[in-house]
Amino acid sequence: MTISTEVAKADDEGPRRSRRSALVTGLLVLPASAWYLILLVLPLLIVLVMSFGNKGRFGGYEPAFTFANYADALDPNRITPFVTSLVLALSGTFLCLLTALPIAYYIATRGGSRKSLLIVLLIVPFWTSFLIRTYAWLTILGPEGLAGFIGDVTGDSSFRILGTPWAVLLGVVYGYLPLMVFPIYVTMERMDRTLIEASKDLGATRWATFRQVTLPITATGLITGSILVFIPLMGEYVVPAILGYGRVFLIGNQLVLQFLDSRNWPQGAARAVVLILIMLVSVVFYLWFVNRGRRTRDVSVV
Amino acid sequence: MTAPATPIARPDALPEVDVAPGRARPRARVRDGLVEGWLRGHTLLVYLFLYIPILVVVVFSFNATQRRVTQWEGFSLRWYESVLHDTVVQAALFNSFRVAIATAILATVFGTMAALALQGTPRWFRSIFEALTFISIIVPEIVIALSTLVFYSTTFDVINQLFHVRFKLGYETIVAAHALFNISLVLLLVRARLSGMDRTHVEASYDLYGTPWRTFWQITFPQLLPAIVAGFLLSFTFSFDDYVITFFVYGAGLTTLPIYIFSSIRQGVTPATNAIAAIMLLITLSVLVIGQALVWRNARRSGQRGAQASVAGMIAEQSG
Amino acid sequence: MADKEMERYVRQMRWQLERTPLSRRGFMWASAMSATAAFLAACSGGGGAATAAPASAAASVEPSVTVPSESTAAVESLGPEPSFEVPPDIEKELFMYNWSGYVDPNNMKQFQEVFGVDKFTYDTFDANDEMMAKFQGGATGQWDICCPTMNYVPAMRDQGFIQKYDKSRIPNIKYMDKAFMGQWWDPTDEWAVPKDWGTTGITVRTKDVKEPVTTWRQFLDLIPQYSGKVVFVNSADDVFIAPLKANGYSLNSGVKEELDKAREELLKVAPHILALDSNTYQDKIRTEEAVLGLTWTGGILDLRDKPETKDVEYIIPDDGTVFWLDTWVVLANPPHPNAAHAFINFIQEPHIQAIETETNRYATPNDAAKQFIDPKLLNDKAMFVSDDVMAKLEAQKDNSANTQRQDIWAEFNQKIGQG
Repeated sequence: MTISTEVAKADDEGPRRSRRSALVTGLLVLPASAWYLILLVLPLLIVLVMSFGNKGRFGGYEPAFTFANYADALDPNRITPFVTSLVLALSGTFLCLLTALPIAYYIATRGGSRKSLLIVLLIVPFWTSFLIRTYAWLTILGPEGLAGFIGDVTGDSSFRILGTPWAVLLGVVYGYLPLMVFPIYVTMERMDRTLIEASKDLGATRWATFRQVTLPITATGLITGSILVFIPLMGEYVVPAILGYGRVFLIGNQLVLQFLDSRNWPQGAARAVVLILIMLVSVVFYLWFVNRGRRTRDVSVV
Repeated sequence: MTAPATPIARPDALPEVDVAPGRARPRARVRDGLVEGWLRGHTLLVYLFLYIPILVVVVFSFNATQRRVTQWEGFSLRWYESVLHDTVVQAALFNSFRVAIATAILATVFGTMAALALQGTPRWFRSIFEALTFISIIVPEIVIALSTLVFYSTTFDVINQLFHVRFKLGYETIVAAHALFNISLVLLLVRARLSGMDRTHVEASYDLYGTPWRTFWQITFPQLLPAIVAGFLLSFTFSFDDYVITFFVYGAGLTTLPIYIFSSIRQGVTPATNAIAAIMLLITLSVLVIGQALVWRNARRSGQRGAQASVAGMIAEQSG
Repeated sequence: MADKEMERYVRQMRWQLERTPLSRRGFMWASAMSATAAFLAACSGGGGAATAAPASAAASVEPSVTVPSESTAAVESLGPEPSFEVPPDIEKELFMYNWSGYVDPNNMKQFQEVFGVDKFTYDTFDANDEMMAKFQGGATGQWDICCPTMNYVPAMRDQGFIQKYDKSRIPNIKYMDKAFMGQWWDPTDEWAVPKDWGTTGITVRTKDVKEPVTTWRQFLDLIPQYSGKVVFVNSADDVFIAPLKANGYSLNSGVKEELDKAREELLKVAPHILALDSNTYQDKIRTEEAVLGLTWTGGILDLRDKPETKDVEYIIPDDGTVFWLDTWVVLANPPHPNAAHAFINFIQEPHIQAIETETNRYATPNDAAKQFIDPKLLNDKAMFVSDDVMAKLEAQKDNSANTQRQDIWAEFNQKIGQG
């Protein structure tokens, strides 16, 4: 059986890959590829085609070929929502990271037999509807809750938590925490405990151990988590509308305005295309930047 | 199993470590205690943070108010009663649930498959595939929702005319649309897990004449399990709670719970929705507690301790 | 269980009719009308003018409405109980696409029982724009009935989303107030059947705001004084009403100079606004987080009727405001057209419509229903406005084509609460 040598040398693809292995690989990626092709590429092609069109008489799309929508999307006067979204996404991701890291570490290393339970308990709150959860925050942080309490204590009757960026950030961290915790946990849990022990045996401080042993190994999880939080956060507009009292105007609001209120699908499409391209470039750049010093070794298990 | 994993087997994995012998120790112990305490405290706070709104939701489900849930007007069980009689809400809940389960299973299976095989694909394919993975997450929900709807309706028009069938928006269209984002989610999680995985076990398995299939099930799969489970949970949650995409691609009679709840905000969110949430929480938490109790009992019975008492350990040990 | 519900419903109707003096007045009014009509018919073969006199005499409780002669005969035949004619070809299912909670559950149940419609699917949407986008994306042929606001009807008609309704199957349309028929959104009365209507107005907590706020002009001028305590609904069309009307323009104005003026006004008040909130503005008013608001009536009337918050007032400004009208439309290619028509006719049955009004707390355009409605509601000036106020209401038009409005709205959004 020569499979062992082939697999052992198969750190990356090569011409010596066996045909059977190639077939299996193909079959394994087939479903996901089909999904991407049919339900992502085709709809996005529709978006692309729409972006060059005109608004129909009653809204919607009318076939045409014009760059006007792109000119509008790239209009520097309309750039403020993008900047606001960016600030929100960056700060939200950072806060999520700070919040998620210790808890992922704790569950992964100290969870023991309760690991699975603790992880599932993290996500159970999200099986209550998003809207009811957010409304609960309105009650907790509102004038009949925390803000009122603090207001009474400090004597400031117009003290307010809701409608401020803090409330929005709180809502954002609340909503996106699992997306950050799970990837980090998943890589931390994989980590070999003996490495930590070895490091401690060699006299390293906790922090040094964490920084030089734990962090590099869990880097992939951190990167995945930050991407999974940052990207959707750029498009977020519901939490700021409710907890932020609608006091910020974000890209999400802009897109909804164009697709629903003005029913100008081509303009919305052009804006979306521009946004997707900017984000894709940013993500690629980010990945290149963080993976510079690392040698990622993906295992071939086929 | 961890004994062979010496630093020699993985030269990259152990970078230089600060050596601070002897002197640091007594202070380190105090600091260790503080750090430990902080870790525990932080975790507790986070769980509290996650569950306080849930507590509020449950408390307000007993609100006797007529319409608006945020105004407390006394204690009452009437909303539980109304939920148990309200077929519309029950249907919405049922729809949400079956869409979410189907999506989660689909996404977990296909996403894991793709994650496993991706490394073996040619470079050009991998780049495009990875780009698409990120794009599926980047696309704003309203854009993918509307474009998927247009795609569905145009395709169905064409197919229905050509083949004289009657495809239309329905259960399958929602599941398919949800599965897109979820496949990417699972893919990313499993790949993150894979990237740190120890190949020596796989190699050892082959050296011992294991077939690829068996190697996968007994070595790789158990190690991947936390990522797969995490992917499943996240997929289920995303699908269960999704509003925008579902709103545009669902067909008549398939209202899901988020659509029902979002639509009712104009009229006023009644405590009925809180009651549903409370009931669901009750069911989920009971299942979890019972499940964990069983795991503990099983672990104690087989005399194992520590990490192996977790579910992953159970499966690994049973398949071995 | 179904029978018990039915019984309870009928008992409720009877009890309602018997306890209000209105039923007696209604009967007297109806008989007066029919007598006059008969007299006139004998003399000159029908006339609308003469009926106006008895109407105003007997209508001291009802808001002044001229009931056209063709409905008087119909109205007089209305007994204390509704009567239904079940069409023989009615399907067993009905798919409705509507706002949430917009049909009284008892009515729904009765419809199902009386007409033998086993499956009543009620799917919901939250905003006209979302509904439009869904149809424009191609989700047609799914439902039978929809309930768009009237300014969306022309666009739906021109894009083929709705079909003309069969008048022969909806005879109860004769009860409609003529003020709502033959208007710009449906000049030929073939596409939309009116459902209910309402306004956008000023909400005030009079115990905090002592100044008079009876016009949009006063409202806008007062905002800086109550900085940080003002809430607006998150709807561009509604927010534009304030500055446009305050300057005497049409609230549907697309004139550049007028919109420039509106922009100026809006940007001036934006920093003082607490929130743009379409869904929880009632709570903000209740907790006094906001003491002034540009809002709809949803939830506000409830607050006003409660003792703790009875200082809440909903004011329809003197310089005019919008009225919106929700309408029933039959969608194109409906799976169950007969059930659709039967339902629309059923819901316009005056007794049934009265129940709808009392549940939904929006004014009904169905004149005959008014005699069955709780007089407290009929007297509520916020719901059933008086004639002179009615004259100041302007219908909402479709302003989605105006890019200047869109730009101003985005700018306004960004300036909220910056003060």
